[in-house]
Amino acid sequence: MSELHNIIDQTNSSTQETTVPDNSEHQQQEPVRENEDDGEHELHKLLLPDVHHLPFTPPSAVESNFVSYFAPDFMKPGHDQYVYRHANGLCVIGLASTHVAFKDKGGITAVDFNVGKSDRSGIKVTGKRKKNAQHFESNTALCKVCTSDASYIVRCCVKGSLLEVNDRLVKQPELLNSSAEREGYIAIIMPKPADWLKVKASLLGLEEYKKLRSLC
Amino acid sequence: MSPAAEVESEFCSVCLGILQFKWRDDKETLVKKESPNDMTELIAETVKQEGHQIDSFSLEVSVPQAILENELAILSDMKSKYGSELWFQEKSRSEPISVKDALKFSIVKPLESLLGIKSSIDSFRIRLTYTSTKASKMVQNSRGRIKDCKRQKTDTNNGLHSINDESIVAGAECSDQSNIETNAAAVRPSNGLQACDAFECLGFSIEKVNEPCHLELQCYRTPIYLGGRYLKFSRSVSQTCWIIGEERMGEASVEEIIGSNILPMCKGDNYKFHAAGREDIDVRMLGSGRPFLVEIQNARQIPSEAIVKEIETRINGLENKLVGVKNLKVVGSEGWTLMREGESEKQKQYAAVVWISRPLDDEDLKTISSLKDMQIMQKTPIRVLHRRSPLEREKLIHWMKIERIAGSSQYFLLYLCTQAGTYIKEFVHGDLGRTHPSVGSILGCRAEIMQLDVTDVKMDCFLTG
Repeated sequence: MSELHNIIDQTNSSTQETTVPDNSEHQQQEPVRENEDDGEHELHKLLLPDVHHLPFTPPSAVESNFVSYFAPDFMKPGHDQYVYRHANGLCVIGLASTHVAFKDKGGITAVDFNVGKSDRSGIKVTGKRKKNAQHFESNTALCKVCTSDASYIVRCCVKGSLLEVNDRLVKQPELLNSSAEREGYIAIIMPKPADWLKVKASLLGLEEYKKLRSLC
Repeated sequence: MSPAAEVESEFCSVCLGILQFKWRDDKETLVKKESPNDMTELIAETVKQEGHQIDSFSLEVSVPQAILENELAILSDMKSKYGSELWFQEKSRSEPISVKDALKFSIVKPLESLLGIKSSIDSFRIRLTYTSTKASKMVQNSRGRIKDCKRQKTDTNNGLHSINDESIVAGAECSDQSNIETNAAAVRPSNGLQACDAFECLGFSIEKVNEPCHLELQCYRTPIYLGGRYLKFSRSVSQTCWIIGEERMGEASVEEIIGSNILPMCKGDNYKFHAAGREDIDVRMLGSGRPFLVEIQNARQIPSEAIVKEIETRINGLENKLVGVKNLKVVGSEGWTLMREGESEKQKQYAAVVWISRPLDDEDLKTISSLKDMQIMQKTPIRVLHRRSPLEREKLIHWMKIERIAGSSQYFLLYLCTQAGTYIKEFVHGDLGRTHPSVGSILGCRAEIMQLDVTDVKMDCFLTG
């Protein structure tokens, strides 16, 4: 959202001289109402953006707030995953659009978080300090996604504390088919700064990933 | 008479020099005044130096724990000697005057005449804090009837005797002062003679002292408050000073713009900024503004109505027009309660510029307008999840209205009124599905938020100047 504000506010600048409406000292009914209407009118002018400066398609919330990284062929060929990193350090993990699972007929039909030693969807993380969060390695399994033909393991990609898994996927696995890069995210992980720097070196940026997979 | 009592000390064993107007100052110099008037001259000097503009003053004195014990010891001793005599029984009907009160009585009137103002309950405080290096003897008496004596030390001394005539007994070694505060509550005499009875079995003695008390003289004004409503016209100004490491985030802060304009007019030491809620740096605060309080510490002068108006005009007249202020005025402590009262219940109104992934149609306007008091579930937004508890919160969207923007089919203005604490940005874009329903899910498409403005903070405080 932030990059566009300069554009929008430049267009609003002509209305910024508006002073705050002064409603004091009016005895008659009429002038008071006029003042309030003026105030609302002025407010409305401030709120309205200049259409000519709005982009045809704005960047998405993910594009604006996260930096996208990719782990192609993570531990197995075709297992392409994404890591969206927020400025606050949190990482959203998910299946990249080029993941092999999407090539199976019918797409993904089921998601199971009960892998490894525990059911990942069962952990309750509490408090600001994120008590009870499990510490996972980058190759720890997060979940299993199934298609009509096969099943695939999805892994953390980033070493850190598991804050949340997207348990909506259990009831709505089709979210992965329709929007794997948004509502179909797999999990949120909080890495330590040092661990992030280590893993970052092995991840691809958006442009490199697109080149690698020959996406336009 | 025991031999230890023969050497005279210049300091009274009971009041530790307080009623003799002798003390050690903060430079460790021994100060001796001849009379209360001399002492009040010194106090008046300090008051004038600080430069407070005052109509009255409140005098506060605090004395060390040891003096309270000494007072009780004397009373106890007298009671045991003269308890059966008529004159004592008559006297004991009224409260004995404590060292603290005696000091106050002796300096209040001279101070009033020197300063030319009366003493009363006031925000301007003159505080005399006496402290003693001698530890409270409470620590050593583990067999007393005193409650709250949590940390009992074993009796390390061997010189403690009970009161014997007027003899002054050589004191024992005092151990640490750690229990003074826990015991203070227990020994504070609400009624001198009653406490005395409880005191008897404790067997305290009064010993001679070679050192007077240490006196700290302070004069200060308790915090004053200025309240009002602020507006934020800029998308690069944070509410409070926001610095990460050495780098300032944003151009300026509401807190600093307002606080720095008020502080010098009050000639205060520093300020604290409090507001009823907050908005992101890139969100403007328009309309009626957001209630705030600026707390000024140790103000040398309380600004008049005219000066307050001047402050407001100055802030609103700043060239860069980043912040505005309304209804600024000096408020009493009721300002706090007004602001905090129902803060979490109050509703907020917003205007957002929203984009959707398909053209807007008339049905959409109806769909949105028809939703009243709609409940949504919001998981802690990812952008604050690193520092807040992972919770799912129920919030209410009271009403919404879409206004088309001429010249665009996919952008529109969304007006909404929500419960306090609702994350609006996440309600629009859905935060990867972690807020539902969201504007996108309601309209069946992708929705993004371009800009957000707060248009109304529905609270009753500071609505008038």
